[in-house]
Amino acid sequence: MHNLIFLLTLLSLLSSPIIRNEDPVPVYKTGDDMAWAAKNYNDKDWSEKRGNTSDHIFWSRTHLDLGKVENDLKPLGLQIESFGSFEVYWDGVLIGKNGQLPKDGKPEQPGTESSYYRIPNHLISPGLHTIAMRSSQSMHPNVQRSIGFKINNYATLLTKPLVTMSYMNLMAGAFLIAAVYYFFIYLNSKRKQRDILIFATICLLFFALLIMEYLKFHVVIPYSEFFIRLEIIGWLTFINALLVPWYFIIQFNFRKEKWLMAALLVTLLLMYWLNYGHYDLTARLYSLAMLIAAFIVVLNGIIEKEKGGFIAMLALVASALVNKFVVYDYGLFISFTIIVLSMLYIHSIRASVIEAEHQDAVLLSSRLQLELLKKNIQPHFLRNTLISMMDWVEESPKEGARFIQALAAEFDIMNEISEQTLIPITKELELCRQHLSVMGFRKEINYRWEETGIDETQLIPPAIIHTLLENGITHSEPLPGNTVTFVLHYFLSKESHQYIFETIAQNREIMTGRTGGNGFKYIKARLTESYGQNWKFESSFTRTGWKSTIQILR
Amino acid sequence: MNILIIEDESRIAHRLERMTNEFFANKKTNITICDSLQKGVEEIANQLPDLLLLDLNLNGDNGFEVLEQMVAASFHTVIVSANTDKAIIAFAYGVLDFVPKPFDQERLFKALTRFVSPVLKQDEGIKYLVVKRAGQVRLVSIAEVIYIKGAGIYTELHLKNGQKELHDKSLEHLQQLLPHTFERIHRSYLVNFEQVEKIFINPGTRYSALLKTGEILPVGRSRYKELKNKII
Repeated sequence: MHNLIFLLTLLSLLSSPIIRNEDPVPVYKTGDDMAWAAKNYNDKDWSEKRGNTSDHIFWSRTHLDLGKVENDLKPLGLQIESFGSFEVYWDGVLIGKNGQLPKDGKPEQPGTESSYYRIPNHLISPGLHTIAMRSSQSMHPNVQRSIGFKINNYATLLTKPLVTMSYMNLMAGAFLIAAVYYFFIYLNSKRKQRDILIFATICLLFFALLIMEYLKFHVVIPYSEFFIRLEIIGWLTFINALLVPWYFIIQFNFRKEKWLMAALLVTLLLMYWLNYGHYDLTARLYSLAMLIAAFIVVLNGIIEKEKGGFIAMLALVASALVNKFVVYDYGLFISFTIIVLSMLYIHSIRASVIEAEHQDAVLLSSRLQLELLKKNIQPHFLRNTLISMMDWVEESPKEGARFIQALAAEFDIMNEISEQTLIPITKELELCRQHLSVMGFRKEINYRWEETGIDETQLIPPAIIHTLLENGITHSEPLPGNTVTFVLHYFLSKESHQYIFETIAQNREIMTGRTGGNGFKYIKARLTESYGQNWKFESSFTRTGWKSTIQILR
Repeated sequence: MNILIIEDESRIAHRLERMTNEFFANKKTNITICDSLQKGVEEIANQLPDLLLLDLNLNGDNGFEVLEQMVAASFHTVIVSANTDKAIIAFAYGVLDFVPKPFDQERLFKALTRFVSPVLKQDEGIKYLVVKRAGQVRLVSIAEVIYIKGAGIYTELHLKNGQKELHDKSLEHLQQLLPHTFERIHRSYLVNFEQVEKIFINPGTRYSALLKTGEILPVGRSRYKELKNKII
């Protein structure tokens, strides 16, 4: 599609012009005289400036030098781009009108900016011809706009913009669907991702931009409303010039987001203010600012080794080249399309990364779930518990029954929490107390449990304190009096929730290579699962035993 | 008789103690309990036990490194463990028995019976004899052993490669551990029977066994008949 538009543009530049004199200059005279329509009327004393014509009728005359017209170009059509309402005379012959001139006290009915006329076949001999226009411009009497003329095969003149428009609408449709699709994704996703919303908005605005740009070919816009469309196009470009770099900022984790966005906004506003009324220039400047901002972000992304950085850079460079070398009407859209396509590509990369991360997270969660369930059925725990239980039952059935109940209670809690990633701290504490009770029966050590400052509303990953407790039981020898004390402290600070778990006992000497370390791995994996990178875990021996600190950053 | 129990769970240790006392009701037994490998090893250095009841997974310590040291020693080791998946490997190293937790009296008595009556052999296969040389433990594959000679409180392992290794266990203890292919042909000799070429009578009605290696070993008078039957 891009190639086609490019080709069309080239062709229109290459084909030999029918009008031989470059920039034919119209001359004006206020007043009304039908004699001024004549081909050879002497207009030497007419002015090249129109001045403020208020609601008066004025005439303009323009001399065109026609080259030889090939037969296949006939019938010829004339396109006039001009404000106002007017009647058009070709060599003195009325060939059409645009709008309605004021007449008998009735006000002017505005014509449209671009109008088309058929030139009679017998009046196209090579040489000079005169276009005289009987006009009024009461809606924008002050606006000084030159009159543009274009001559081509009549049918070509009418259909060419439509052909272009059909391609542009095709593109617009694609963007509309993308916009709708990504809006739906945004609305239906649990994680409201800003970048998806921005991307959807960019697509929608771009769709609107394309529609607005080509609106003039299928909606007759009175010249009095001409600027509204340009104003809308300007603002659409303005917003997109903000959104595109923003999207890249999010995708490439650009750190100085606020600074860049503020600078960009100020720049765009300055451009708008300084060049007010120069719509084409403003739009070009907007897209230049957008490209520069996006370039900064993407370059930073490449330095930071973000995925998709090179693709985005390639797109930006291509976009800049297109912007520079292709005429504005197409150039803007093509360069925009290239950027949006690169965004789509980056988005798909991100989506696959997120999907992979999600799968990893699910895998990790189910692995941790299994690990948690295994705690109670792994042979060392279960078999040692069962044999102690056998012994209690044989020795003292009553105590044995209490032991069984304690174990059942621990199993119950384990069962209850095993499928969750965060549980109330109160559940965790209950689990720890039940575990201590079970271990007390087994080891016949006087285990004591203390807690300070616990906030009962807090949540915590399941069995992480429990794991610390298990370690404490395994690696401690009781103090005189056959006691081991465990203390859990909770502190809340500005930066973090902090749990300090202390074992007050005598540390056992380590004799052989430990197979352990799995407990810490479990704790760290659980913290990562729920808090990402926002946690710290430390564990070391102290004079009084062992101390572990879990910090969850706020 | 000295029995050492290395077990970190008080309840289980006392259960072992109680049942062991019951088993050896008639004999004077002295039972020591250690709740960590560290203490156990110290105790052994202090006084060699006759039997060790060992839990493999103690306080997070991996007991297998210690197991190598134990099976190289003169006393018998019975493993009492929850890690039943380690049973095969424990037998391969030459433990007398592996009692899986949870155990009842019957199962423990079976292990203790094995200890007191040399005739009973375990079903599981021993694969190595662990020998200590200059403080290092070395595994000697059973298939490498041709015969074992009693030498005072030690035994000498004679290997296929012509080398000899000293072992701390008595001939009686080794006989208990080794498979049926090892026959006691003499008060001082335990032979891998697959290595015996023939048995013959020397002048003066002394019996000898000719090994495939060409070595000749004495055969006890009382054993001759039984062995002769086996060889035919």
